[in-house]
Amino acid sequence: MAQKSTPKSARQAKIDAVRKDGGGGVNRIVVGAVVAVVAIIAVVGGVVVAERNQQDRVGTSTTVPAGASGMGQGFVANADVTLQPNAPTLEVYEDFQCPACALFEQVMGGTVADLAKEGKIKLVYHLKTFLDANLRTTHSLTMGNAAMCAADAGKFQAFHDAVYANMPAQEGQGWPTAQVRGFAEGAGITGAALDAWQTCVDERKYGTYVESTEESSSKAGINSTPTVVLDGQKLDFNAVPDPAALKAAVEAATK
Amino acid sequence: MSTRVADGLGSIARLVLGVVFLVAGGLKVTTPEASAKATQAYQVLPHDLAAYVGYALPIVEVILGLLLLLGLFTRVSAIVSSLLLVVFIAGIAQAWARGLTIDCGCFGGGGTVAADETSYLPRILEDVGMLACGLWLSRRPSSHLSLDRALFRAH
Repeated sequence: MAQKSTPKSARQAKIDAVRKDGGGGVNRIVVGAVVAVVAIIAVVGGVVVAERNQQDRVGTSTTVPAGASGMGQGFVANADVTLQPNAPTLEVYEDFQCPACALFEQVMGGTVADLAKEGKIKLVYHLKTFLDANLRTTHSLTMGNAAMCAADAGKFQAFHDAVYANMPAQEGQGWPTAQVRGFAEGAGITGAALDAWQTCVDERKYGTYVESTEESSSKAGINSTPTVVLDGQKLDFNAVPDPAALKAAVEAATK
Repeated sequence: MSTRVADGLGSIARLVLGVVFLVAGGLKVTTPEASAKATQAYQVLPHDLAAYVGYALPIVEVILGLLLLLGLFTRVSAIVSSLLLVVFIAGIAQAWARGLTIDCGCFGGGGTVAADETSYLPRILEDVGMLACGLWLSRRPSSHLSLDRALFRAH
């Protein structure tokens, strides 16, 4: 009882006065402004950090490999072969971390390489890196760059095949640095060429290029791997399940 | 309906909408690259703009989720959430109508999937359910256990 009769402090009286006429305790505008500022900083900051991480990942080198006609353009794997008349273009979209690509290579890889060597197709690879985003890794980009470095030594196909023949036990695990160097050596890159390959890998010489083929293929709506395009037509693996069917399809596309 | 019951429904709506947004945003916020790719896969916005939207969306979802769970600025949060859900529903519906075969990327993932792995209708129904919560709170933001009530004596 004694408590109740104690006069209110001046502060409490002020608070009560505000509550009566404003109907609010804390100042709504102040809290709203704080929340809005925090939200804007979080969103803008998040976008800036994401953008910067993406650039850090790719690096600054803007070299385009000799086998590609420009940024975003596929890499021609058999530019040194004289094509047979009216040979169709076979475009292969692959991400080095993609298990289904390894399966495709296991079944079709030899046939594709033979057709390319015989000049029956113009073989174009579009390296994709979208699995890096899903798996939170950089292996797709690293291997794409390393494969382009192998292309400098004329050993793209052998390096590419070695990677798919040695997929990590689990998707996303990647390849140890020593193993990747082993792929290069196994592909026949030795001596000064091996040193050049290593420098190219360390500098991420083709990082921007590999990311550019990811971008351009993604813009074209190709977001799953392996995607194989023969003479402009997406290959349906149900219709073309084996090497014999692939050879027949290539023959049919040779006009 | 008594005020008490209506306020209880408001609290449930806040909880449902808040938890889903917080979880959906939280699962994607650490993988902005994947979120960018998922947004690009809808093929609506220009490619580069879609990447920025993809970076920003998870953060926006986390913020909305937190505000709704706390019951802070419930009406504004609910209106923004509802608008966002309308955009999501439209995005999924257009992908379905155009015959794209993509994962919605709502809770991470996203991108192109096999035709038999798409789930457009369930995703749209989920979003419609959430939209109902959002519209309820936009119209009647009052609810139990909210910061709006504790701080501002509002609602």
